[in-house]
Amino acid sequence: MNAHTIAVTVVGGYLGAGKTTLVNHVLRSSDERIAVIVNDFGEISIDEDLIVAADSDKLTLANGCICCTLADGFAAALMQIRSAGTLPERLLIEASGVADPTQIAAYGHTPGLRLDAVVVMADAEQVRRQANDRWVADTVRMQLTAADLLVVNKIDLLDDSREADDLCDWLAGLSPGAAVVRASRAAVPIDVLLGPRSASDAADTREPPTPGGAAASRWHVVEDLFESQTAVLDAPVPMPVIEALLADLPDGVARLKGLVQAVPAASADDSSGTDAADATACLVEAVGRRTSMTPHATDPTQPPPRWAVSLISHKGSLPPTWLARRLHEPK
Amino acid sequence: MTAARSGRNDENEPFVIYPARRVITVNPAFPFGEAVAVSGDRILGVGSTDELASWGKHRIDDCFANHVIMPGFIEAHCHVMSGGLWNSTYVGYFDRRDPQGLLWPGCTSIDDVLERLGKAAADMTDDSQTLLAWGLDPIYFPGERLVARHLDTVTGDRPTLILHASGHLATINSALMDRCGIDETATSPGVARGGDGLPNGELHEPAGMMLAGEAFADMMKANRSEQARWRYANEARNAGHTLLTDLGTTQLWDPDQLNNWKKVTSDPTYPARVMVAMSNLFGATADPAELAELCVKLKSEQTDKLRFGIVKLILDGSIQGFTARISWPHYYKPPPGHIGNGMWLTAPDQMADLVEPYHRAGLTVHCHCNGDEATEAFVEAVEQVLERYPRWDHRHTVQHCQLTTPDQYRRMAALGMCANIFSNHIYYWGDQHRDVTVGPERAARMDACGTALASGVSFSIHSDSPITPLGHLHTAWCAVNRVTASGEVLGPDERIGVPDALRAITIEAARQIKMDAEIGSIEAGKLADFAVLEDDPLSVDPMALRDIGVWGTVLGGVLQPAQISDA
Repeated sequence: MNAHTIAVTVVGGYLGAGKTTLVNHVLRSSDERIAVIVNDFGEISIDEDLIVAADSDKLTLANGCICCTLADGFAAALMQIRSAGTLPERLLIEASGVADPTQIAAYGHTPGLRLDAVVVMADAEQVRRQANDRWVADTVRMQLTAADLLVVNKIDLLDDSREADDLCDWLAGLSPGAAVVRASRAAVPIDVLLGPRSASDAADTREPPTPGGAAASRWHVVEDLFESQTAVLDAPVPMPVIEALLADLPDGVARLKGLVQAVPAASADDSSGTDAADATACLVEAVGRRTSMTPHATDPTQPPPRWAVSLISHKGSLPPTWLARRLHEPK
Repeated sequence: MTAARSGRNDENEPFVIYPARRVITVNPAFPFGEAVAVSGDRILGVGSTDELASWGKHRIDDCFANHVIMPGFIEAHCHVMSGGLWNSTYVGYFDRRDPQGLLWPGCTSIDDVLERLGKAAADMTDDSQTLLAWGLDPIYFPGERLVARHLDTVTGDRPTLILHASGHLATINSALMDRCGIDETATSPGVARGGDGLPNGELHEPAGMMLAGEAFADMMKANRSEQARWRYANEARNAGHTLLTDLGTTQLWDPDQLNNWKKVTSDPTYPARVMVAMSNLFGATADPAELAELCVKLKSEQTDKLRFGIVKLILDGSIQGFTARISWPHYYKPPPGHIGNGMWLTAPDQMADLVEPYHRAGLTVHCHCNGDEATEAFVEAVEQVLERYPRWDHRHTVQHCQLTTPDQYRRMAALGMCANIFSNHIYYWGDQHRDVTVGPERAARMDACGTALASGVSFSIHSDSPITPLGHLHTAWCAVNRVTASGEVLGPDERIGVPDALRAITIEAARQIKMDAEIGSIEAGKLADFAVLEDDPLSVDPMALRDIGVWGTVLGGVLQPAQISDA
């Protein structure tokens, strides 16, 4: 991750879908320094144990960052966050229940920020009704369409897994390209929400944390939903291979992230394939259909990073060596 | 409390009789008088000079002998930024008079805009200062677009920003783009690009406009200054207004903003009363129940000139911005890529719960509803809340009320709701509504004062200043004539007569902010707030209504001459 930019996660979705629960879950489960912007304090209820101090215009969070509102606009909120001491690694923006997440996501293009993902929450029990409501149908559909990661929350309230499958298929049709993930009490594995901690961490192949007993449901759909795989790269990878990978990710992939040395197509033809002089260090990321490949500044005084890509996918959707084969044996 | 006060502080102090060409009282029981008598800040009576003299020791002041005296105009929907924006250069399409009384001719072509900006740039002495301008509305320049490269020709190296009339867009020049690092690498969707794929200087929505950094922030900050509040009231006085609302611009829970209002209105020379609405439009530190409590508390501390007790909520966007919620068949000719309907700014399902705490606290809720779907949502919310907590005489008001349908007006009448109709839209955007936004049929029944009247809904009319210029002779002219900027009559069947329009800008406006016991008509015992006019609105050709000169106002018995300069 580029040390100078703050990753932005937009949390959208209609009223009651679980946005605030998700924000609390992220603050509780992630070890990143995360600041939060909410539409107004009237709508947020950050869990008390995550708050150290409360002022009229901001909350100081246990992670050292702050939570503030859009009362004076985004610029003022950002200034408040930057001057609050601990510079965050990530900014969570909780959109209002009727906001277009795409418009909120536009703030992620402010200099110094980097839009990571638009997470849209859907209430498994209510979303079909809401998507056909006389007044908010178009609003709800617009929100669902804006998702990179579409969290089908409160899935345990459905009667059975067939109902859940039907709902997720229907949502996937409404929001083509979004990664649709199921959750109960918004407990989506943190690596799915925010991406693997960093590319070098990804090389540790640590398992994404799974929600504990607190999220126990009537039937077991939430736990053990995901698995991860990591491809460690000994050599630079031709650019077209990376581009092809990002352009055509299978539906089961929720997240992908990694650091690669990318080389132009021509030098990859060279069988030695390791002409590092031509190589550019790149951060590659994908969440839903949002993919990016950005140059990554390496610090010459530090040991070189571990070149590796890891992905998180729905359990059983991909062979365990799928990623390694795509990167090592391009066709 | 004001009700307990008498106008006569000293029985030996003579009261003043102002004979006039005519006094229009807007009191149906005593519609006209030859003179009005003022004692202290109150009206002692209206009638003939002899009748009034019989009250006792008096003096006669003939200064209004050739003028027509009306109740002071009451603008129930405007915003204090109306005063703040005049820190920047006006480049709007229509003529507009600033608070100093200077007339700024409309910029009716892109060349006019550039000429105005070039002059403003040349007048600036501090090289580090950014040139700020406001009021541009590209809807009047179809086919051509003002962009950075045009601005560069007149502003040179001086950073320049124009805030559009809609408030949703800004256009900046190359110097400001350079300063803010906006170049071809910009990734924000809020940075518009020209045919060459490069940023063209147009910044869309808050996410784009904030990239202009301090220039944009400075413009917003100006709205909170004392100077803005003074200019606001000066402009009102120049147009015959004695009461302004600030409908959702002030964050009342912020002690600085509240104290700023207290400070200016406690100055005896401040030339208007102000009703400041409670609002959580731009975020709040408390939930609605707490805001309701704060509003009740403020109301108990209010003064003659600083009033509280109304609440502003908002449901949808604007019609000309294609963001108002309009029921099927929605928009007539929306721009390419439009999603089909407007946007909700508050979830309609949430409305009843949002209205409830204010309703229970005895406050009056004013909700922005441009489209008929928004009106429907608000009316339903009021119905639900009334079922939960029956309350008579709440006067909850549909603000803007532009596409409210006849059935909705009937429901509003049954519920005791009021309407504040955006009549100025007929003139400023009526042509666009007919041709582009909603089509001929619905444009003809927009801003339906005639239907409101026939349905028995108490209604006022408004300017939404700074969106359109403050001035009730003009808002009344629009309701009476329904003439668009191109000169066509839009929906002649919704026109109302001049007497009804005069009620709408006085007593009916007072009624929906619950001040009709104190102001809004000229009757014994009410506050002596007058609009002093050069001609008689009931005698002139209705098409000349907006051209009537305004001498100024009387506010609480104090003469407030307009300051108009046509230099």
